[in-house]
Amino acid sequence: MKKRGRGVGCMWYGVGNTGLPNPAAAFVEVLGDTSVNLMVGCADIGQGSSTVMAQIAAETLGLSYENIHVTWADTAVTPEGGATSASRQTFISGNAVKNACLDAMGELKRTAAEKLEVPEEDLIFRDRMIYSAKDESKKMTYPELMGAMKYYGRLAVGAGYYNPKTTYLNPADMSGVPYEVYSYATTICEVDVDTETGEVDVLKVVSAHDVGTPINETMVEGQIEGGVAMGEGFVLFENIEVDGKTGAIKNPIFSKYIIPSNMDVPEIYPVVVSSEGDAGPFGAKGVGEPALIPMIPAVTAAVEDAIGCRFTHLPIFPKDIVAAVKAKEAEEAAK
Amino acid sequence: MNNYSVLGKSEIKVDAVEKVLGTAKFAADYTMPNMLWGGVFRSTVPHAYIKKLNLEKARALPGVACVLDHTAIPGGNRFGIIIKDEPCLVDDKVRRYGDAIAVVAAETKELVHEALELIEVEYEELEPIFTVERAMEEDAPKIHGDSNVHAKKFLNFGDVDAAWDKCDIIIENTYSTHRLSHMFIEPDAGISYYDDQGLLTVIASTQNPHYDRGEVAVMLGIPANQVRVKQAATGGGFGGKLDIGVQLHCALLTYYTKRPVKIVRDRRESTMVSAKRHPITMHAKTGATKDGKLVAVDVDMVSDSGAYASYGPAVIGRAPVHIAGPYECPNVRCSAVFYYTNSPMAGAFRGFGVPQAAVCHEGQMNALARALNMDPIEIRLKNAHKVGTVIPTGQKLTESVGFADTLKMAAAKAAEVM
Repeated sequence: MKKRGRGVGCMWYGVGNTGLPNPAAAFVEVLGDTSVNLMVGCADIGQGSSTVMAQIAAETLGLSYENIHVTWADTAVTPEGGATSASRQTFISGNAVKNACLDAMGELKRTAAEKLEVPEEDLIFRDRMIYSAKDESKKMTYPELMGAMKYYGRLAVGAGYYNPKTTYLNPADMSGVPYEVYSYATTICEVDVDTETGEVDVLKVVSAHDVGTPINETMVEGQIEGGVAMGEGFVLFENIEVDGKTGAIKNPIFSKYIIPSNMDVPEIYPVVVSSEGDAGPFGAKGVGEPALIPMIPAVTAAVEDAIGCRFTHLPIFPKDIVAAVKAKEAEEAAK
Repeated sequence: MNNYSVLGKSEIKVDAVEKVLGTAKFAADYTMPNMLWGGVFRSTVPHAYIKKLNLEKARALPGVACVLDHTAIPGGNRFGIIIKDEPCLVDDKVRRYGDAIAVVAAETKELVHEALELIEVEYEELEPIFTVERAMEEDAPKIHGDSNVHAKKFLNFGDVDAAWDKCDIIIENTYSTHRLSHMFIEPDAGISYYDDQGLLTVIASTQNPHYDRGEVAVMLGIPANQVRVKQAATGGGFGGKLDIGVQLHCALLTYYTKRPVKIVRDRRESTMVSAKRHPITMHAKTGATKDGKLVAVDVDMVSDSGAYASYGPAVIGRAPVHIAGPYECPNVRCSAVFYYTNSPMAGAFRGFGVPQAAVCHEGQMNALARALNMDPIEIRLKNAHKVGTVIPTGQKLTESVGFADTLKMAAAKAAEVM
């Protein structure tokens, strides 16, 4: 018999390394034709960090996304980026990029202030224009600004880094400031469980993530969707088996270590939640690992809800479900 | 909402076109003139001294450029992101199935395999340890040094022992999670060579090129600025490419041959050697008032961290901090112990112990909701972190705490679509 269930799972995730310094850096140069070279240490492993860095640079400099060329993860060219781990790169390398751009903007602001005859602090750089916040008629285009830079022999180069504001944790009780910001998430999952075969059909998943400020909404949604699929595999499909004599992994290949296929992935409804804060670049936080985490308890809870059995040991394979259903029936018969 | 010009927009990824057209160059796609292929001879036993290692037959095979063991390493032979406890090539003893013992470079991939087959090794086997129960016994053989305890953490906030009297309900459960593999779609690969300026260059599939640079420099005993590590287009990592992969072995072979060397792991080798998710057993005791307010959380956790530290210290640091979940709780205690064993090495994997912690805190939260006959969203909202919350390390949250909104918005969306 098929039984439907629904479960909720939540998580919080401290962004960056735990109670340790973990800085990252960036270099930037705005060229005479308003194109930009941005050099970041941050490794892009497909999640899209280089795209995020380009968007942060464009926003900070007041240029277009298309103006930015990113070189990443090349130690002869790019400064220290630290690991692409701990959901840290949008927050930490993102802040480094912002700081590098602000550094390069020192000369840009000085030059624009001189040409427009307004105080530097009144200047707004946006959409390839520079203007006074107090009098928008005082304005110039970016190419005009770069022309002036050339005339004065000035270069727009910047370096920046960021180290999250944390403390080392007290070894006695782990007290301290382990992370500067935290991401949050809630996942709700709906499943059908076949009580005879033990098969679980994950039907629909809603996953809401507080990312502070989304830098690229489609990429945030992509992370959430990938995380949901990985969480489904975590609970229902995947398990490394180790040979008890040799310690060898018995199922190192895809035909023996099963991950979800397209046919297994449910309908996913990502919900991008914003929250106010100054720590991240424009308030952004990480989503890379949070995307996965709440799906794991959510799908577990949904299976529990469907058949009225508890599962405290993962994974939950069909045989475990059939055994739990039988044990429950036996228990009920005994009453 | 803030009024941004570029942020928030779904710009097309900077590397989208190359990925879509199939022209993006992954590490295995690189090929160079005069290039050699490299391969690694690995242990097939979990715990042993090496009595004899015969490389001569492999060296004698025509087309083999070099065969090296640990004696060839010019610099340091211990690496690891946090604790340097893993050899580039085994020099004292084998600690897991798949430990690297020797490396081969040859003119073709086929010759590499042939040469690897010709390497002969004799082991003096030691008792292998595959469980934390055995690892903690006094008479158990020691994997490293004089203790099998890899790391210990103790988090203590409020007064847990005094808090149980204030609870109307106490729930106790033991949770366990399993060992998982990242199964990144692209197996580890890399190519090394000396560039025009004489820099020892490695192009690799990696999540941490700057760390890789440091390890290669130490292993070769040369300054870090004489090494260049470049990340190739990388087909996923999920933490599995944070430990150094083929980079050290490629670099060592290039150092001796002065030729480009490429190593591509097949799926079996990749899965066998890269770190796995820590399996964690958590005994949890959670107390609350009858209206569902958390009063105390007490968790003991143990894990089999495998043969080498890898990112174990990061996992054991993170899991206790997160163990109570995104909920206010005035009394939290967590004791964690990770053990060295001869099991596959556990390390970084998307979440660093927080997925395991979430299995525990959400399992407890759902159990609490059922016992108190409360709605799972309602009980969470009642305890949710907010600006001003003091977390179990004593840190006060001052901004960007959107947890309650995720609960409300997820519930609203679920009501609409489910």
